[in-house]
Amino acid sequence: MAFEPLLTRNVGRPGSEAIDAYLASGGYQGLKRVLREFTPEKFVEEVKSSGLRGRGGAGFSTGMKWGFLPKGREKPRYLCVNADESEPGTFKDRLLIEKDPHLVLEGIIASAYAIECNLAFFYIRGEFHQGHRIFQKAVAEAHARGYLGRNILGSGFGLDIIMYRGAGAYICGEETALLESLEGKRGYPRIKPPFPALVGLYGCPTIINNVETLANVTLIAERGAAWYAAIGRPPKNTGPKLFCLSGHVKRPGVYEAPLGVPFLELLNEQAGGMAHPSRPLKAAVPGGSSMKILPASKCDVLLDFDSLAAAGTSLGSAGGIVMDTGTCIVGALLNLARFYAHESCGQCTPCREGTGWLVQILVRLERGDGRMEDVGLLADIAGRIEGNTVCPFGEAIAWPVDSYVKEFREEFEEHARRKACPLRAAAGR
Amino acid sequence: MAEPRSCEPRFSPPPHQPNVPAPGAAATGAAPAAATPGAPATPALPQAGPDEVALLIDDRPVVVRRGATVLQAAEKAGILVPHYCYHPGMSIAGNCRMCLVEIEKMPKLQIGCATAATPGMVVRTNNDRVKGVRAGIQEFLLINHPLDCPICDQAGECRLQAYEKDYGRGESRFVEEKVRFPKRYDIGRSVLFDAERCIKCTRCVRFCDEVSRSHELALFSRGDHAIIGTFPGRPLDNPYSGCTVDVCPVGALTWKPFRFKARVWFLKNVPSVCAGCARGCNVNLAVFRNRIHRMAPRPNLDVNAYWMCDAGRQSYDSLYSRPRFERPVVRAVPAAPRAGESAAAARPLRESPDPRAEPASLRDRALDLAAGLLREAARKGGPRALAAIVSARLSVEDLYLAKRVLGDLAGVARLAVPPHEEGEDDHLLIRRDRTPNARGAELLGFGAPSAARVREILDDVAAGRVRGLVVLGEDLLAIPGVAPAMVERLEALIVIDWWRSPTVDIAHVALPACGYGEFEGTVVNCQGRVQRLRPALRPPGEADPAWRILRDLGRRFDLTNEYAAPRAVFDEVAAKVPAFAGLNFSALGDLGAPVPGAPAGGAAGAPAVEA
Ligand SMILES: Cc1cc2nc3c(=O)[nH]c(=O)nc-3n(C[C@H](O)[C@H](O)[C@H](O)COP(=O)(O)O)c2cc1C
Ligand code: SF4
Ligand code: SF4
Ligand code: FES
Repeated sequence: MAFEPLLTRNVGRPGSEAIDAYLASGGYQGLKRVLREFTPEKFVEEVKSSGLRGRGGAGFSTGMKWGFLPKGREKPRYLCVNADESEPGTFKDRLLIEKDPHLVLEGIIASAYAIECNLAFFYIRGEFHQGHRIFQKAVAEAHARGYLGRNILGSGFGLDIIMYRGAGAYICGEETALLESLEGKRGYPRIKPPFPALVGLYGCPTIINNVETLANVTLIAERGAAWYAAIGRPPKNTGPKLFCLSGHVKRPGVYEAPLGVPFLELLNEQAGGMAHPSRPLKAAVPGGSSMKILPASKCDVLLDFDSLAAAGTSLGSAGGIVMDTGTCIVGALLNLARFYAHESCGQCTPCREGTGWLVQILVRLERGDGRMEDVGLLADIAGRIEGNTVCPFGEAIAWPVDSYVKEFREEFEEHARRKACPLRAAAGR
Repeated sequence: MAEPRSCEPRFSPPPHQPNVPAPGAAATGAAPAAATPGAPATPALPQAGPDEVALLIDDRPVVVRRGATVLQAAEKAGILVPHYCYHPGMSIAGNCRMCLVEIEKMPKLQIGCATAATPGMVVRTNNDRVKGVRAGIQEFLLINHPLDCPICDQAGECRLQAYEKDYGRGESRFVEEKVRFPKRYDIGRSVLFDAERCIKCTRCVRFCDEVSRSHELALFSRGDHAIIGTFPGRPLDNPYSGCTVDVCPVGALTWKPFRFKARVWFLKNVPSVCAGCARGCNVNLAVFRNRIHRMAPRPNLDVNAYWMCDAGRQSYDSLYSRPRFERPVVRAVPAAPRAGESAAAARPLRESPDPRAEPASLRDRALDLAAGLLREAARKGGPRALAAIVSARLSVEDLYLAKRVLGDLAGVARLAVPPHEEGEDDHLLIRRDRTPNARGAELLGFGAPSAARVREILDDVAAGRVRGLVVLGEDLLAIPGVAPAMVERLEALIVIDWWRSPTVDIAHVALPACGYGEFEGTVVNCQGRVQRLRPALRPPGEADPAWRILRDLGRRFDLTNEYAAPRAVFDEVAAKVPAFAGLNFSALGDLGAPVPGAPAGGAAGAPAVEA
């Protein structure tokens, strides 16, 4: 049975970002249903039973996260939308923001209703100029039509949204760094506990959700948890998912498929296979740059949270990166390590000092100044970062290093042994 | 009667805010972890009170108050969890990761500084896993460190050194280029910054945000280029900037006046109290070869917590900038100054008044002369002909004997204490009363410092009604409106002071007293807390503690007590002056004790002092 696009159903239609187009295709009906038929608690239950898991990277149950909010109402609750999307190879939220902002907005309003929040923050990556403009317009339209502001659709529930632009730091996508940044401070991740659900923005209970997560909430609002939970690989990997594919692939882009779609099917059938017919798949990182690499031999996997975990990697933000046999793994890791060294917030010792060290070793290996012991050293440094940092950024660099070395140790050692990058040497560079 | 509490220090932020444990993790009264069958039996947990938790750290049972962190619990159990960024007087940053420990049932290591101790928790601070991580943190901290320990002021007191010795791998696997940063960067009035030595623990930043509340410092840049800095046009310059140097666990921030002055391992730290204002911050005097090289705060949560002001920190400078006089000085008396000899032509007493007498010491003869002059003035002018101006910079012992000898025995009718006020009380420690013992003087019956009472005496001096004046520890000529001509009519001007002030030069008899750090005694701070000054230096020449000079002067007025030491004087004060009742010199210890009636205790719920 062919899969009907749900999250991207409006993408590609001209003017899809305008509220009229959205309403014409049945938009905001889900919100109406929620406001009419659900109490906030019941909608939290509904989202819980849908099986929806966060699309921002960690894959935590959205309904459960909402359930962590304290019962008392002494302090206001906030919803922060994480639109900072800055992971290399991940560009799915951007598509939703630019092409179907009201799908996201409807989910935001329904979610805010569920968690009884009257003020939401939309934290958008600084470089997303167009997305910012489009989303701001969508917010204004929604206000004008009574989907935002006081007493939405006569329900008595009110919500305002504050747009906030990031200033170019990947780390501000980490939820607690995002909160610090929103508060006007340096984007430093906080130590947890306390978790944001208890002590979040301005010390108040706060929920942070990814853009795509909230778009999924719209789907649940429209057609209910039971319908939603049947999509994908129930019971734990439900719903549609946006998958990014980039690298040596014929048609890089965002593809929608139910969770559990086979990676090779996505690559070969939807994305047209490898870019160069003569250079087959060497490796892929299906979950995104922060996740562990899979050599081609292990790429026959299903794309969902639990299948990828079983395969030794993670779904992450589903920013799949495809590498063909013309790729130098050491060079690829160096490229990645440079990004992480540049983006480390510098707060905690292992990440601050370790990322820079990793880069320098990789530079030497790639340049032809490597030593045999460098290969083990890379893995050892990664091991000393992993698990010992303030935020998961530490793992975001440790996992790639550890897995690239583990899966392609021979290639690293060859760099050291030959005192050169073998691929470059072959190409006469 | 309860004293007003206006002087009680209020330290913010609340020193300890361990993070709320994860939901469910801190179920109150949770049963202790059951021992795994077959595993060696773990020691039983002790009984914990309602506001306490009992846990096991390295198999040692320990009970702490609820809300204490694992690091604090370990400290209580006598186990050091190494740490850089944690400081008991500031908020928790959790960034250095040196305090990672293993906690049963938690897959990842947890930072001891921010993890609340929960009932039945089982903590390991010293197994191979923890040790491996520590060695890793040490290696990370040192890869970009310049390793210039031989020329670093912090060497010997540096945590990087100490922890490397205890937990490091002893060698580095780092063969790359180090990140270069500015060295000897002039970051503020008295502080120099070496960015290459900095470990980015943010203690200095938090100090300026939370304690001094001056907000000069911040971290700039990211990753391994992160660097502490100031904002344009706003250098590190607050009244407490020296504390950033104290809290810096490494040699990144150094105190300009102390730079390259001494190797710290040669310094002897003498616990004492700052005499710069009425707060009486607890300090250590760092002494080498009979010279103070550094004064740094000594933790006392009831008084100064971990801090002191910059002015106090350098208050010992005057010891080395002001002229001293090492032997008693007398002006030729009773003969009037000869023509052409100015009043300033005082000279040490050389000849004995009576050549046939036993050769008495210079000091004895000066004291004889002083007593004689005072007697003579009283005989001629009657009871109101004698007065004294007494400094609140003197110790309780000095002041007590001043009252007893001058007031009771020598017939000095009026003793006045001049005020020394400057600026305003601030939010933290600084008091506008710049004397260390005004409260003590008051409790001893001198009344509050009063410019009016001093003025009254001086008017009577000018009018000739006061013929004999004793000045203890004050520079008479520095009192506004006082000129040498005004005191010319005095028949007896007796001065006891530690430095050769202009007043010493016009005195009939002047006796050299000990300066700061040269004598033992007690002072009472603005909170009513009695604290001990400890001798750290040998006084120069014949300089003597003021109480001893007064005692010996007293002997000329039939004082019979021996008062072998300040302790003896103090214990008499405790016995005779109701305000001091029940106090005991030995029991004052290093942290002092409140006088009865003064509010007890300090910052409520204050944490244990860092080792
Ligand atoms: C270094 C780092 C960067 C992150 N960047 C993003 C991001 O750009 N967008 C996002 O939604 N989540 C990001 N996350 C994940 C967030 O911390 C958080 O888990 C997520 O926003 C929660 O939303 P969800 O429950 O809807 O997935 C990042 C995490 C880390 C550690
Ligand atoms: S792990 Fe890296 S990004 Fe995260 S807090 Fe530490 S230094 Fe910052
Ligand atoms: S200067 Fe010192 S106190 Fe400040 S961050 Fe650096 S190491 Fe820490
Ligand atoms: S002391 Fe705990 S992280 Fe620094």
